[in-house]
Amino acid sequence: MPRGLVVPSNVHLTIGKIASVAQVSADTLRYYERERLITPAAKSRGGYRLYEREALRRIRFIKQAQQCGFNLAEIRALLALRATDAACCRDVRRVALEKKLQLESKIKAMKAMSHALTRLIKECSADSRPLDDCPILAALERENGVKRRGR
Amino acid sequence: MKIELFYTPGCEKCAAARDDLKAAAEEVIPGVTWRELNALEELDSAVELGVVTLPSLAIDGQLVFSSLPTCRQLQRELAKRKTG
Repeated sequence: MPRGLVVPSNVHLTIGKIASVAQVSADTLRYYERERLITPAAKSRGGYRLYEREALRRIRFIKQAQQCGFNLAEIRALLALRATDAACCRDVRRVALEKKLQLESKIKAMKAMSHALTRLIKECSADSRPLDDCPILAALERENGVKRRGR
Repeated sequence: MKIELFYTPGCEKCAAARDDLKAAAEEVIPGVTWRELNALEELDSAVELGVVTLPSLAIDGQLVFSSLPTCRQLQRELAKRKTG
């Protein structure tokens, strides 16, 4: 089915068709189902999964949430939050802010790793010394070998 | 001693507990420095302390509670630090 085609809400799509429209694989949809993120609306007489148009919105939600760094368990919680009458926008905002904090924390940790590697690379003159004299390997073996000195 | 409460704006839970926690802290440490920080505006400070859930509470630059403590939990922690 061509991308962007309007699918009437009462039409049931097979897994292949909805996968094509949503630009994911059928295996991905089965995986989402195992992870309790989407559920087929019905099954055909032949046992094939059938989805409604609403499933497309849900798949788009899942894909875009993944792009923002949410894992599937977190997306499941977000979807549950979306369906909670008592929840409001600020609840979602808090979840988004917490995710941002987690991402920033990972970025900080990765920057520290990158700086540690920069220091190790600087220690090595890239000459043809044997591996036994390699300062990078030696630093990795040494206690506190990759920690910044003077700290 | 300094207490920093990282919160997300509009958090009713934080607003409701804030005054009680502040009073509880004051009971144990008179004159304690109490700061309330919007995590979005103070993102760098929050990340530096390792805050990943909100609300979170830090004491003297150390993340101690990753959710709101009860008044008793906060007082116990402050008393431990006061004597320790």
